[in-house]
Amino acid sequence: MEHSFASPSGHPQPHQRHFNPYSENGGTILAIAGANFSVIAGDTRQSEGYSIQTRYAPKVFRLTDKAVLATNGFAADGNMFVKKVRQRLEWYRHAHSKDMPIRAIARLIQTMLYARRFFPYYVYNILGGIEEDGSGAVYSFDPVGSYEREACRAAGAAQSLVQPFLDNQIYFKNQTPAHGTSHPAHLPLDHVLELVIDSFTSATERHIEVGDGLEIYVVLAKGSTPQVLDRWQGVTEMTTTQDGERMFVIRRNLKRD
Amino acid sequence: MSIMDQNGGSVIAMVGKDCVAIASDLRLGNEALAVSSNFQKIFPITDRIYLGLPGLATDVTTLKERFRFRVNMYTIKEEREIEPETFAHLVSSTLYEHRFGPYYVEPVMAGISKTPSGGFKPFIAATDLIGCLNYAKDFVVAGTASSKLYGVAEGLWEPDLEPEDLFETISQTIMNALDRDAYSGWGCIVHVLTKDKVITRTLKARMD
Repeated sequence: MEHSFASPSGHPQPHQRHFNPYSENGGTILAIAGANFSVIAGDTRQSEGYSIQTRYAPKVFRLTDKAVLATNGFAADGNMFVKKVRQRLEWYRHAHSKDMPIRAIARLIQTMLYARRFFPYYVYNILGGIEEDGSGAVYSFDPVGSYEREACRAAGAAQSLVQPFLDNQIYFKNQTPAHGTSHPAHLPLDHVLELVIDSFTSATERHIEVGDGLEIYVVLAKGSTPQVLDRWQGVTEMTTTQDGERMFVIRRNLKRD
Repeated sequence: MSIMDQNGGSVIAMVGKDCVAIASDLRLGNEALAVSSNFQKIFPITDRIYLGLPGLATDVTTLKERFRFRVNMYTIKEEREIEPETFAHLVSSTLYEHRFGPYYVEPVMAGISKTPSGGFKPFIAATDLIGCLNYAKDFVVAGTASSKLYGVAEGLWEPDLEPEDLFETISQTIMNALDRDAYSGWGCIVHVLTKDKVITRTLKARMD
């Protein structure tokens, strides 16, 4: 049968086809900076609408020995973006014989995102790692490159569930310290890990796009001891060089319903 | 933007050990413009039942009066106070009467009910705008900050909290959720109900 664009009057009508280059793949990411460490976490469920595409699609990626990037939003864009950032970091290594510092990676990500101002990577990025001065750092970005260094940030499907909880537990918002005392500026590593796990179990409980698995990257500054990690299960060390920063991944299960 | 978000506002209710708590913000707005910082949306129904009505402000005012009328009629006819479970069904059927032209509110109820053996049992419930009841063992939320309330409550709430701890939990939950919601805030109020008294406190919250 002939396909024509005839209108009821018999005259041909213009007809516009439409292609949508974006989709949303759910999931949530989260990063918290400590005094001399940084924790970057993400769930591993990848979904489209009400369907689960896979229960294991990593959203958190190691960039250098001391920088980790978490991406959330449109997974295809996220993976492509990480690939391009890694390529730029390799070129930097070849040109300068060292890893790019994290604040420089943050600025690089901004320019790379803004370069696509009018056809953006549909991705929210959170960069975590260790600064040159040895302090833990978290940088968060919007899809077109606005960025800020913070102590903690949640992004993705369950951002609205997790961020106010973090405001309360990390920044001690709406809490008054007892007389003559003050709130700590940075929390210890094991406490931070507990909060990350609680955040994700809560998000899993109440958000359908969050669940399946949890990957927590821990970056420790030079010279700090990883003893606290001994009491944690499912820890894998990813450190590549001696006497530098050390990197670990903690893999856990989340509810699959 | 939904009619439900026109005036803003949020309510949460939580269960504790032999007690319940219900809290709300005090904002009334016209979309982004704040109009009042003392708009009550929680109403005492009996000494042991409190009702929160977040949603379209005009319907909040109408329904509060309607429920007062219907509860008064019940009290006169039955010659006794209404029980929380019964009141929940009254709310549900009142809203379902308007199934195809609903009131734009999502009621949240908290109460202490009497058991046949003479004891007391905490009760919370919420409905959607057409009266579909949701009983929960832990907490119920509604309003423009509902997703934030879910997130914080899921992280802070634990079973069998004593009245003072329940007060702290619900207060921290609502304040931190409200601070991330542009349509709720401008102060909040908390009621903690036990079998023999109600503690009402207005919180010193962020006013921006």
